[in-house]
Order: sequence, then C-alpha cells, then structure tokens
Amino acid sequence: MLKSNSITFTYDGITTFNFPDIKLLKGEDLLVLGDSGIGKTTFIQILAGLLKSESGEVELCNVNYNQLSSKDMDQFRGKHIGMISQKPHFVRNLNILDNILLSLYLSKNRQDKKRIVQLLEEIGLGDKLKSMPDELSQGEQQRAAIALAVIKKPALILADEPTSSLDDANCQKIITLLKGQAEKTGSQLIIITHDNRIKSQFNKSIKL
Amino acid sequence: MNIRKLAWVNLISDPFNTMLSLLLMAFGVGIISLLLLLNNQVEQQLQNNLRGIDMVVGAKGSPLQLILSSIYHIDNPTGNISFKEANQLTKNPLVDFTIPLSYGDSYNGFRIVGTRHKYLELYKVDLREGKLWSQTMEVVVGSIVADIHQLKIGDKFYGTHGLTEDGHVHDNHYYRVVGILKQSNSVIDKLIVTDIKSVLEVHAHNTEEDDTHCTENHHHDHECDHKDHVAVEAHNNDLYLSDEFMITCMLVKFKSPVGLIQLPRKVNETTNLQAAIPIFEISRLTNLLGFGIQTINLIALIIILVSGLSIFISLYNSLKKRRYELALIRVHGANKWQLIKLVFIEGITLSVLGTFFGFLISRISLFVMLLLVNQQQVLHNIKFGLIADELWIFLIALFIGFLASLMPAILTYKLNIPKILSNA
Repeated sequence: MLKSNSITFTYDGITTFNFPDIKLLKGEDLLVLGDSGIGKTTFIQILAGLLKSESGEVELCNVNYNQLSSKDMDQFRGKHIGMISQKPHFVRNLNILDNILLSLYLSKNRQDKKRIVQLLEEIGLGDKLKSMPDELSQGEQQRAAIALAVIKKPALILADEPTSSLDDANCQKIITLLKGQAEKTGSQLIIITHDNRIKSQFNKSIKL
Repeated sequence: MNIRKLAWVNLISDPFNTMLSLLLMAFGVGIISLLLLLNNQVEQQLQNNLRGIDMVVGAKGSPLQLILSSIYHIDNPTGNISFKEANQLTKNPLVDFTIPLSYGDSYNGFRIVGTRHKYLELYKVDLREGKLWSQTMEVVVGSIVADIHQLKIGDKFYGTHGLTEDGHVHDNHYYRVVGILKQSNSVIDKLIVTDIKSVLEVHAHNTEEDDTHCTENHHHDHECDHKDHVAVEAHNNDLYLSDEFMITCMLVKFKSPVGLIQLPRKVNETTNLQAAIPIFEISRLTNLLGFGIQTINLIALIIILVSGLSIFISLYNSLKKRRYELALIRVHGANKWQLIKLVFIEGITLSVLGTFFGFLISRISLFVMLLLVNQQQVLHNIKFGLIADELWIFLIALFIGFLASLMPAILTYKLNIPKILSNA
C-alpha cells in the first residue's frame, strides 16, 4: 500500500512543486503523465525516499518515510523499492548475474542464483547471464534493468520514463514485461512518463 | 557478491592503474625492506661475533683494520707483535682474560688461525666430530670450511701464505684435521683453527732439515708426525718467553668497565702496540654505512609517497567515472558507509598488496644477491623471515593507503545522489 499526502518540494529555492496525493491499494498500478520540467523525476525520487519532501508525507507498507533515519531509509528502499530509469545503468565492471547478485546483497536478500537464472530466462535474457552490461543492446539492457528491480520482489516498482528511448515494438514488449513481472511479484507499479504510447495499458493515471 | 568482491572487481577491471600503484608501492617498500634486511644481517653478525671482546691489541696501523681482521677476519692483519710484550696485559688486574691470535695463512681462501682452546670456548662452538687439537699442526675446521671442501677427520692439507688462494704454498708443513666444528653462525664457521704454535712452526726456519725430510717422504707421513709435531702441553715454555715469538693480535676481555677507560690509552701511549676498541670501531663503521642507507631510505620513502599519490589519483578518477554507479548502489539499498567502505577497501588493498609484493621483491633480490656475490660465504645464515622493522613499513604503507583513500571517501560521502540520478 502506498500513500502520499500533500507533498511539496522547492527546487533551487524558486520553483515549488505541489504533487498530487496518491493512494494505491495492493495490486493497483499507476501511470503518472507529465511533460518534461514539471518535476517528474523529483516526484519519483521523493517516492523512492532519495529526496526528502519539504512538507507532506509518504507511506509505504505502513512505514512513514519521515520516521526513518537516512541509513534506515537506504535499507528500506533497498528492500521494498525497485527502480527503473530511462537509461538503464549497471555496475560496469560486473556481468549481468553479478549485478543482480549485488542488488540482492545490498537489499539483504538471499543471493539465489537459481532464481536469477529463472527470471532472466523468463524475460528472454537466459543466455546473457555472463555478459557485461556494455555488450547488451538497448532493449536487452532495459530488460536487464527490469530484472534488477523485480528480483528482490519489492512492494513498489518505480519506473522513470522506461520506454521513451525505445522504438514502438520494444516499448510494447517492455511495458508488457514490466506489468507481467510486477503482477508476479505482487509489486505495485508506478510509471512516470510523457510517453502517450502506453497510456492505454493502464486503468489508473494522473497528470502532473 | 559483496562490497569486498566489488572492490576487488573494480581493481582488476582497471589493470594499468592498479599495476602502476602496486609497482610503485612494491618498489618503495622493496628497497627499504632489502636495506633493512641487509642492515639487520650485517649488524647482527657484527654484534654476534663480538662475544664480549673489549679490546684488541695488535700492530700499529688502522684501528678499524685491526678490528676487521682480528674479530671478523675480513681484512688483512696490521702486522706482527711480540707475544711477550702483549702478554704483559694478561697480568693486569683489570684484565679478565686474553686470547692470542696468529693468522695470515689460508687454505683455499679460508683463514687459518692459531690460537688457544679458549678461543673456541669464547664462541661456544662444539665439535661435530673428532677432538680439539692436542699437538701443533692439528686443526679443527669450521662447519662451512668442512662442508665446502669436504674435509674429514684425518685429511691433510698445506696452508697458503697470505689470505688469497694464489699465495706461496707452505709445502713443508701440512695440517691434519682432527676435529670438525658444529655450525655456530659465527665467524668460526669459516675458519680453520689450530694451536698458536702451529703458525709459528710453519713460518720458522730452524727445522728446515726435518721439513725436507718430511716432504721427501711424503708417503710416510706418520714417521714425521712425531718428529715435527710437539705435544702442546709438553712444548717448551721458553718459546712463549722468547722475543722471537710473534703473534698477530691479542683479544682482551676486561674485568670491569674501568679497563675500558684506562687500558687502551695506556697501551697506545706506553707501548709499541696499538689498542682498538671493537664497539667504537663498529659504530664508526655503521655510521659511515648509515649515511648511505639513510639516503637510499629517503628515496624509497619518496617512491612510497608517489605510490600513495598514484593510489589517490586512480581512486579519484574512478570515482569521477563511477559517480552514477555509486548512486546506483545507493538506490539498491547501500548506505553511505558502504560506499565509503568500498573506496577504502580499494585504496588499502592496493597499499597492502603493494607492501606484500615489496617484501617479496626484497627477499627475491636478497636471494639473487646471495647467489651472485656470496660464494665466499661472506654472509651466512641469512634469515628471510619478516623482521620487526618491517612492521613499521607495513604500518606506514597502510597509513598512506588510508590517506590516499580519505579524500575520495569524503567526496563519496558528499555525493548528491538525487542530482546524479536526474542528470544521467
């Protein structure tokens, strides 16, 4: 369960963002639409606990972010929130398997290799286990990023423009995959985007 | 997967920078460590061979030469002195005991030293086999001499005049091995020790007729034994008193430190002899060496510092390159301290590994040096283990690794994660 209440954030001391309140029940997904420059990334970072809002509160799994110390927030985020960004990023010196293992280590989850292999096979990267991130195509990288986010079965998956750099075919594939995996792990999915191609696939959407 | 493994992967993913830092650290540490090892070895051997000898009396000349030749047997003797004159000291109430030494001959480069049994007692050397000499021309050989020349009890050999192998051979008198000494890790291991009168006998000319007889009947050695070689106990005591009885030097041990104040001056001022104090000469020698060692140490320390700089630069560069990675790791649930741990592990691994390679380099070079220059066993009983001073090098290297990581770690702590993520 995710709840956010009257969140505001002032950027550079000039621009103040007032973000809409959100209330998502278990199993519900949300599409947040908005043009660039209206604080989409800021909103997602506040929801991820990376930025502290000026006022208002965010609550996930009945934990209020305001009550967590910075260290506890890091750990909470690691355990309960998976993040996917527009351009996928990895630890360059580690192969895909080790990247996912590192994510499991940092979120204090069991480093279950079998589950990783299974997941990568599901999303069509079964043969890329030992590949370095640079060796993957853009679409493959985005899929690997999804694997990285869902492997720890987070309560919430936050995706920031996951499709905007993909062509139509890949865009549909990724959204289907993302929705499918989120459903499988019981994660709530919030996608923030200006990409209207995916609007039709979500029941619930808000505009910033 | 964990932070340590990630640090390691980061290090080996950037082999050139890692190698540069490692090499610099290894060379700096290696040079200091090698000097320490050598210095330690030399000092240990200098001290070890001293055995409480307070003063050496010999012919006038360089006091350092006298000490080097009489105690360490690595220089030429300064000349001969009259035993009668030197022996006056023995009666001095401040003197505990004296040991006369006669040397100047050698066998295949190993020195033959004429002395008394007391000399071996001073070095606490035991016999491996055989017995001590009881007659002149009987010798006991040090362990290294015995091993190199495969000498056995009963073997006979001729001494060579001088300390090099190409001197005149005293083929009129042969020495007979009666005992082989155990290894003592002292200078004795490289000596051939005999009665003090043997050396005199070899150099005296009054028994020339007997000598000729003996050399002619080389195959009937036993006949000669009894004619030539006089039992030590039975030997005419007058010989010691005659003015002709020359020795090379006399080792003196004082009863009390007062002797150190009075006797050397007395000897130097009132006699034709020279008195030298081993500890003074050794400290003079080590001071001379010390200057060179300090200079090289300074250079090596600078290399270590440069290696610290290289560690700093490579950490700093990779920090700049990996800003997003570090942010990503935070997103995955790492806290600030885990990132700092990552930076420190990388820096300190480099310095510790470099130090380790440095210690390895110093040992390998020492080993190679021994192979190349130590055929004469100038250095023996070399220890390759870690020595106490190396703990200091290790701590210094550790500190430099820490210092080099500190700044990148602080920068890592201050990384603005949201900003890095949104700018990517």
